Amino acid sequence: MDFVDDDAGLMLRYRDGDAAAFAALYNHYKGPLYRYLLRHVRSACAAADLFQEVWSHLIATRARYEPRAKFATFLFHIAHNCAMDFFRRDLNLRRVMPAHDSESSLLEAEVPEHQRPDRVAEFVEQQSAVLAAVAALPQEQREAFLLREETGLNVEEIARITDVPIETAKSRLRYAVRKLKNSLRPMQEPQALRLRTYA
Amino acid sequence: MPDETDELDQYLRGGSDVSCEYKRESSPEPPHELDRLVLESAGSMKSRTPFKRKNLAPFALAASVLLSLALVLAMVFGPQVKKTDDKPQVVRVRIFKSEPPRATPASPRDRNPVLWLEDINALRRAGRIDEADVEMRRFRSAYPGYIVPISE
Repeated sequence: MDFVDDDAGLMLRYRDGDAAAFAALYNHYKGPLYRYLLRHVRSACAAADLFQEVWSHLIATRARYEPRAKFATFLFHIAHNCAMDFFRRDLNLRRVMPAHDSESSLLEAEVPEHQRPDRVAEFVEQQSAVLAAVAALPQEQREAFLLREETGLNVEEIARITDVPIETAKSRLRYAVRKLKNSLRPMQEPQALRLRTYA
Repeated sequence: MPDETDELDQYLRGGSDVSCEYKRESSPEPPHELDRLVLESAGSMKSRTPFKRKNLAPFALAASVLLSLALVLAMVFGPQVKKTDDKPQVVRVRIFKSEPPRATPASPRDRNPVLWLEDINALRRAGRIDEADVEMRRFRSAYPGYIVPISE
């Protein structure tokens, strides 16, 4: 029970029927979780759906909860899985669309509004420079950076959440930070930015 | 490589430009409608809390103690089965040459006089005269006014 932090204690209380403990957890994590989802999936509508999905999953499985890690790790691991499912569904939809060119107009109507590429681009444009840079990061690097910023978790815990080795998580975070640093450089160095290549 | 490590370490220590820029951004919160939906969902699930196994432990323990106690009490104070005697039992069998006399009722008055007389006659025919006389005396005392037919 070394992993029982205060929040894990609250979750244990909620598991045993204390609704007030859930309210405390929710108030503590709703902001970080929402921002993580919003900036990861880059759509307010999808983020709202996923936000509800994450909490619903936590509520539905609370009876089986055992503190094996920090509560934040547990919660954001659920969020990571929900986001991965979202991206998988999104990818499947994109694969289906070109195969049915003749019915593209029909399928276009079936693609959720928030998953349309033009909507994603619009979302990025509405952001400030730093948020636009975050949104432009590759998916894995963006997630590592958002997890670090929104939860304050260390690299080991980010690796646990994203189901990758620690070195991979470290590498993703390193590339993300470097790219963001470069994007925040003064505008007088546009040529240098354009010439740099990243892995 | 050392530069890369330093860059990451510096970021992880906090206070890097990237972190500061990110934190300077607005911090959107979920819509209130979402708050309401989630909190309502959490509240409604409360009543459906499954009965956990650890809650059953005291009942299981109490049931075991009661069962053990009942067994001990049954063994100590329960109905005793009489132990059969190992010695061989002597059974006396009376052998009659003719029909054996019927069992004597508890009260002579309850006995049918006709059948009683037949039993007495059977004893006489079997040569058990003394027993027949004893029975006849009993018969007479039980039925003093009964006319006994003359036997051949």
